[in-house]
Amino acid sequence: MEIINARPISKGKLFWAKVKTFFSKPQNVILVLMGIICTFTTFAPIIAIINDTIQIHPGTIDAHLTGKTEGYTLINYIDLFTGPLAKINLWTPLLNTLILAICSCLVSIIYGGLFAFLVTRTNLKLKKYLSSIFIFPYIMPQWTLAMVWQNLFDSIAVTGTKNGLLAGLFNITMPLWWCQGLFPSILVLGLHYAPFAYILIGGIFRNMDANLEEAATILDTPKWKIMTRVTLPLIKPAILSTILLVFGSSMGSYPVPHFLRLTTLSTKYLEMNVSRAGEASILAVIMMFLGIGIMYFNQRSLKSKKSYTTVTGKSGQTSVINIGKAGKHIVAAIFFIITFFTSVFPIISFAFETFLPNPGDYSFFYTWNANNLTTKWWTTSENLTESGMYGQKGMLYNETIWRGFGGTMLVSVCSALLAGTLGTLIGYAVSKNRRSKLSSYVNGVAFLPYLMPSVAVGVAFFVLFSNEYFNLYNTYLLIIIVGTVKYIPFASRSSLNSMLQLSGEIEEAALIQGIPWHKRMLNIIIPIQKSTIISGYLLPFMTCLRELSLFMLLCVQGFILSTSLDYFDEMGLYAFSSGINLILIVTILIFNTLVNKITGASLDKGIGG
Amino acid sequence: MKKLSILALFVIMVLSLVVVGCKPRQEKSEVQKIIAQAETMTLEELGRKAIEESKGKTFYGVGNSSRGKSALPKFIEYLKTLDETYTLTFEWQQPKNNKIFDQLKADSLKAKGTFAMTLIQDGNQIESKMVKTGILDTFIPKDWAKENNINRSEYTGYLALQTLNKVFMFNNKGTKTFTNCWDFVMPGEHGQFMDIDSEIVGKNFLYMLTKPEYAKNLKDAYDKLDSAKKALIDPTITAVTQDAADLKLDQNGKYALAWIKLWVESYTTVNDDGPICNNLVQASSVDQFGLLVYSKLRSVQETETVSKSNVTIAAYQNNYEGMGGYGYCHYLFVTDNSPLPWTACAFIAYMTCTVDGFEAWGKDMGGYSSNPKVARDTETRFKHLENSGDKGYTWWVENGKLVLEDPEYCSEVAFTVGAWIELLTKYTG
Repeated sequence: MEIINARPISKGKLFWAKVKTFFSKPQNVILVLMGIICTFTTFAPIIAIINDTIQIHPGTIDAHLTGKTEGYTLINYIDLFTGPLAKINLWTPLLNTLILAICSCLVSIIYGGLFAFLVTRTNLKLKKYLSSIFIFPYIMPQWTLAMVWQNLFDSIAVTGTKNGLLAGLFNITMPLWWCQGLFPSILVLGLHYAPFAYILIGGIFRNMDANLEEAATILDTPKWKIMTRVTLPLIKPAILSTILLVFGSSMGSYPVPHFLRLTTLSTKYLEMNVSRAGEASILAVIMMFLGIGIMYFNQRSLKSKKSYTTVTGKSGQTSVINIGKAGKHIVAAIFFIITFFTSVFPIISFAFETFLPNPGDYSFFYTWNANNLTTKWWTTSENLTESGMYGQKGMLYNETIWRGFGGTMLVSVCSALLAGTLGTLIGYAVSKNRRSKLSSYVNGVAFLPYLMPSVAVGVAFFVLFSNEYFNLYNTYLLIIIVGTVKYIPFASRSSLNSMLQLSGEIEEAALIQGIPWHKRMLNIIIPIQKSTIISGYLLPFMTCLRELSLFMLLCVQGFILSTSLDYFDEMGLYAFSSGINLILIVTILIFNTLVNKITGASLDKGIGG
Repeated sequence: MKKLSILALFVIMVLSLVVVGCKPRQEKSEVQKIIAQAETMTLEELGRKAIEESKGKTFYGVGNSSRGKSALPKFIEYLKTLDETYTLTFEWQQPKNNKIFDQLKADSLKAKGTFAMTLIQDGNQIESKMVKTGILDTFIPKDWAKENNINRSEYTGYLALQTLNKVFMFNNKGTKTFTNCWDFVMPGEHGQFMDIDSEIVGKNFLYMLTKPEYAKNLKDAYDKLDSAKKALIDPTITAVTQDAADLKLDQNGKYALAWIKLWVESYTTVNDDGPICNNLVQASSVDQFGLLVYSKLRSVQETETVSKSNVTIAAYQNNYEGMGGYGYCHYLFVTDNSPLPWTACAFIAYMTCTVDGFEAWGKDMGGYSSNPKVARDTETRFKHLENSGDKGYTWWVENGKLVLEDPEYCSEVAFTVGAWIELLTKYTG
């Protein structure tokens, strides 16, 4: 009998064999690479900004209090938290930020959720029209509705600026709390983010098994009980996702509170950056930790909802609730009116604004004289003679606007391609290694930037890339990097959801046939989940087109269209800002329609398809 | 998961601190030496040096005014008169939200910067963040010094391209009159003004009011008020008297603090001077007033409800007392690590010493060249005094009692008077 002496394999060889096996799987390579990239792009800016909170900045309060012009100090923390301005600079803005974020979530969930319910589960009229028009506030720049609010409700008597339409035409003046501050900011942000709630909650309503509700009805359960015990628990994950997205976004919103005169952490950051740069960075850090906090609570909530995960099978049976012969018309009419003011009226008012002789000059309404309208804001081809254009050429000839448009397209296309591709790969890799710690780490760290307020992310990247080695301020590269990092979650989440729906057998069959990974992806996986994956590209693209908070600190005005819009708007050249708004909206609609026609994907099918 | 996170954090922390935690470099550039030579040269000599240095290259400038972009092509045209083969491409950037200081600071960390020069406002931050730190260098053109009778070796100020004025103006379709600068802070009045935390030159204006000469102006205007109006203000003056002493202001400092307090606690914030102008010129804006850039009026188009004639410039009234507004400068500097220092000096000299160079600003009213000769020539060419009713820089300083920004003084009181202002409760309606 021959005895084989099996030599023990050395630890080193075993280790390398394991490494080789590990990296032989494409999903592991992706996870490691994405882990490195996402770790750097997420944590490096955080650390850079934390570092900034302890640095001494010449010409600011830390230099004044320490008597030094360089070095490190904790004086910024001491002064911000315990100084005489602590209430003004920290506590009040923090409180306002939290109230704004929480209440915006409530408004968007109630409004968007109710709309989702009506569209998906009732016999409401005009569903198709209402469904398309409902997402318009999200397509438009955030401050669009804030501007509309001002134009409607401002009055000399109350806000001390100018008479809006209500005061000017009907002599109606609204109280200050209605015109400025928390209430309008909450409402405007809530309306802006309501499409999120509609997309997410609507998705679940569409696919929800109606048998459960019907069973409850047969058992004679009161309607309110069915709603609280059956329907709401089913849509809880969607509500949590909406909270996650809306809370993070509204917390870091700059334009809306700025326009509506609410002091939040993001508006305070810009105020304090002049003479209290280190303390301003602490505000950015606080915003970031609030983002991390909301993600933590969300994950805890999702873990505790295990009891609901049994409701996963699709029966394919959905019931339509009859809201009555008159009801379906009345409710549709109500939403028709509301969406008119949130979606259609802004567009009409933008278009009209570009034909006014002076910004905010509504002489035409009082006189009905066509001479009180003009096309100069579009057609003036020179800026040498003073023609009431504030030294600007008309929009059709304005190099600043068209250069900004080119820049915006470049940034949006590149960010969408990068975010979409990286996000899809992350979703794929995470779905293949669902139980590994590395995959849950990559999944979490890739999502984190989305929850961090845009202003804070912008600040952090500015600090990180403003040094003697990297000085990327005002470069498209920096804006594309930031846009990519911020919007990877759109793609990673939708990709992950779709990949989880795919049975592993499909890819395994191809693997047995010896088909290489890239071919499996391109010819099998991506085509199957095409529309969801395209949503992962579409959403970053749309969002990038009209993003301001994220990019405003990273480039000069005129570099991209949203900063040009903000610039003209602040200058009071409403014809230009309105015209740019129109250009953006038309661009988004064209792209949305094109993508919808070509691929079937659409913005209102949104995250997760 | 935890270990992974900690390890990742540690690696990133080390990397980031290496990247962002590095101290600014200590070595000095050659730019100051070049400036010293340039200050002895005529514009033409500088032009020739610029041609030698920058022919076929790209020039980057950064400024608070977008018009630098219009001035550069004219400068290139001028250099072409010296060498017709000369070419220069350029990029002019105009950052927002105070970012110009961050941008210049970031650029200063490089051995050779991107920006050749800057056109910048806010004397306070320039002094404390840019000049004291050695990021920007002052270049005084020979011709400019001559026109201003300045001895370069004794001159410690900056080079201003122009002074802009923000003036009190009010809608005259109502019955109210404003004949004293204290009228703008009477109880119940709410002027429209850009927030002092968003446009810092507004804060500098408030700092400047505490300077003895301007505090005295306020005291003089106060003395001209009738007793009924004085009675409305006196409680505030009494309330800030101790603060004025604590801040080591002179005997009239309490009038400055009182005016500042009443103004900050009463003005209505508007995002920009453009919207303020748009509001005031409307016939419906009865009795409204604001403190805004004078030149904004130039672009108002007359319609049935909007007209420039709906607005009165407060200081132009014969019986007006006290300051008519404030003035601040656009300063020109060469960056200490300028990649094209000769070209930067030549461009600066061209803008400050020739009417063509100043034309980008001079073509509109309300911006006054710091070079008396250029100011005169600009007036001859554009006739602002004749056409727009502008009374000119000298009138504004002498009769309009414009409060002029002094960077050094602003920097000195930024954290004393400045901290006091920050404690005031802004008007919110």
